[in-house]
Amino acid sequence: MLEWSVAEDGGMGLSQLLEESALKGYQRHVRYPEHKFFGLICSYFPEELIMAFGLEPLRLLPDSANRTPSELPAFSCSLARGILDRELRGEWRDLVGVGFVHTCDTMQCLSGIWECSSNARIVSIVPPVMLKAPGANRYYQEELKSAWRQLCRITQKEPSEEALREAIRLVNRIRHKVRKLDELRSKLPSPLVAAILRAGQVMPKADFERTLEEVLPQLESTGEEPAERAKILLTGAVLENDSLYAMIEELGGRVVVDDTCTGFRHYSGPQIEESANIWEELVKRYEDMPPCPCKSQSLNARINYLLDMAAKRQVEGAIYVIRKYCDPHAWDAIPIVEEFKKSGIRTLVLELEGADVGGQERTRLQALLESILENRTIESLGGEEK
Amino acid sequence: MSVQTQDKVQAQDKAIPKKRNYRPLRSTEKLKKTIKTYYFLTGTHRYWGKPLGRKLAWVTSGAPVELLRVFNIHPAYPEQYAAIYSTNKATAQLCQVAEAVGYSQDLCSYARSNIGGVLRPDLAPMGGMPKPDLLVACNNICGTVLKWYEALARHFNVPLLVLDTPYLTGEITEQALNYVLEQFKGMIKELEKITGRSFSEEELKKQLDLSRATTGLWKEARQYCQAQPSPLNAPDLFIHMAPIVVLRGTKKGRDYYEIFRDEVKERVSLGQGAIENERIRLVWDNIAIWPKLFNFNKMFTERGACFVTDTYSGGWAIDLAPGSPLESLAVTYTEVFLNRSPEFRAQQLIQLIRDYKAHGFVMHSNRSCKPYSLVQEVIRRKVMKETGVPGLMIEADMADPRAYAEETIRNRVQAFLETFD
Repeated sequence: MLEWSVAEDGGMGLSQLLEESALKGYQRHVRYPEHKFFGLICSYFPEELIMAFGLEPLRLLPDSANRTPSELPAFSCSLARGILDRELRGEWRDLVGVGFVHTCDTMQCLSGIWECSSNARIVSIVPPVMLKAPGANRYYQEELKSAWRQLCRITQKEPSEEALREAIRLVNRIRHKVRKLDELRSKLPSPLVAAILRAGQVMPKADFERTLEEVLPQLESTGEEPAERAKILLTGAVLENDSLYAMIEELGGRVVVDDTCTGFRHYSGPQIEESANIWEELVKRYEDMPPCPCKSQSLNARINYLLDMAAKRQVEGAIYVIRKYCDPHAWDAIPIVEEFKKSGIRTLVLELEGADVGGQERTRLQALLESILENRTIESLGGEEK
Repeated sequence: MSVQTQDKVQAQDKAIPKKRNYRPLRSTEKLKKTIKTYYFLTGTHRYWGKPLGRKLAWVTSGAPVELLRVFNIHPAYPEQYAAIYSTNKATAQLCQVAEAVGYSQDLCSYARSNIGGVLRPDLAPMGGMPKPDLLVACNNICGTVLKWYEALARHFNVPLLVLDTPYLTGEITEQALNYVLEQFKGMIKELEKITGRSFSEEELKKQLDLSRATTGLWKEARQYCQAQPSPLNAPDLFIHMAPIVVLRGTKKGRDYYEIFRDEVKERVSLGQGAIENERIRLVWDNIAIWPKLFNFNKMFTERGACFVTDTYSGGWAIDLAPGSPLESLAVTYTEVFLNRSPEFRAQQLIQLIRDYKAHGFVMHSNRSCKPYSLVQEVIRRKVMKETGVPGLMIEADMADPRAYAEETIRNRVQAFLETFD
């Protein structure tokens, strides 16, 4: 039994979350026949909009890093290739539509290719790249309203503002619970937390909230924080499985800060206030969430956020995972690694084709984690930090 | 072959002048002078910039340079320097410098070679670029420029101004226009602070008029290539586009294109083609393969194939939008073709094929430029379906010669050209 496998007694909720996370939306028709799903690729598309229409947001994830549809050149990332391949194989034919957000150049291109190559109904949002630029908030609001109108056309429905507020309340509750889970990270196995967070992006939201509510007390009562594990900050883009988290755990590490697109970054940021102008509040949350490398709040906002998180959670090592051909992360890795090193945080950059890790990554992770643990021994013996 | 015979053949080769399948342009001399002056001025900015109160900005190729000129800012273009590094065979070494400090080999080769030149100016042609006083980026051409200029801003510790032009899935929206206008207002305040000069709408109008005249001449010269034979080939377009990038909105730029336009017009009236025996007319899509510019094109010219137009240098032959000066800038720079959908770009290519009576098109799948390249296959299929002409895709890189597979490309080009026999 894996360290984080669910015990048979009282672990039904957790089992469900782990199953959902592993299924990544497969079998949605069987498990949730009464629900209609709407595909999403990025966290900058507000899920609340989709939910207001009675639809379930489903994060589209690739099933293999090796897919290469002829519509994309080999030098595009495996996320784009993988999800386009699944679309072309008809795996998402049942979706009501797919929401694209202009983030990186690849995702921008993918929306156009998707439109040309499939019959899917697409809703595009082009959020500001410079999130704090003059006029950015108002522009983002208008983009969301435009997406709302597109959703109205697709669904032939016109939900009330109250439906949007109700969706916001549900997502707020989910984020609140996920934050509690995130606080427990140091006590919980890394792949378990990663799996739960991914489950919340591929299953109906109300079911996720209910199940999370059910399992949180069980997780809170989990034993003490293991002192021997090296505290790791993990940053990067989408990780469609827990392979990396499991390897970190296996080699003596624990992810205490997760800044990946499919990890805590998806849920982080301020709660949405319920003021008279709901659109403004909605945008404010997305503007203020910890930025991904495709967005800018200010020149060093992302670096400062990560350094702050590293200090709060007493991080000892950082892993920057870059998906091959992911330009924004490849760019950001350089200054971030430099700043981590200046702060005395040992850092490893891992370039992966997809989310799977193998022998080469094991060796490099082992070296990182061993160096952290050895350093602890030296420090405890009163030696000089290396 | 014996050594003696070999020597004999070599001696004969020297005696017979090489047959040139290419007609040189007279205006190239004027181009050289114009561009040399610009690079001399840029390279010596440290001597005259301060006394004349003129700041030097590193600017992306799609940035609204007209606004900078109002503030008497001297623009320098890292992308164009990178193209020069490449034609001077310096890119691979400069990229390796950047790669050694962590920049992935998969990142844009313009950016890598520029950063390599910043770190090791001694390896860069012309001694690299002069230090900037500020950086101005506009993301209408790609998302890379934002990350690239962020890296430069950290390195030089100078102000970075970014104009965020939302990607257009269809036509420009009211919200996108208003957002860009708001940013222009903010940028003007920043530029006033940085330069100590006040903004003058009248001055911007003058700059726009000059820009309009320059792009008009560039556009007119290009349109003469609808003639058969075409007076220009792709290398002509790529070389003679330099002033439209760096001298847009200047009298020197306008004056140069008057000379260039006249020569192209004259060629048409004399029935002179850019290459001898034009047989196949092609359209080029994507940035030039700078390190192999002439070698690559030779494969085409020796078989009578001429690139009569292209989408890349054509990006600067766009009419400025109407409206107030700021509205005109906002619309023009947001509607740049790289900031638009594959559907728009396919229609643009279809139109070029029709207007220029092209027999086919060649797409350069450019590893360094994702927004240009990732959508090319769906565009290729659409264009072939709608026009009935064949389209060839070749994979290379705009600046890094390490990504150029000579034999593979030669085979593909030969096979493609044979389909016209």
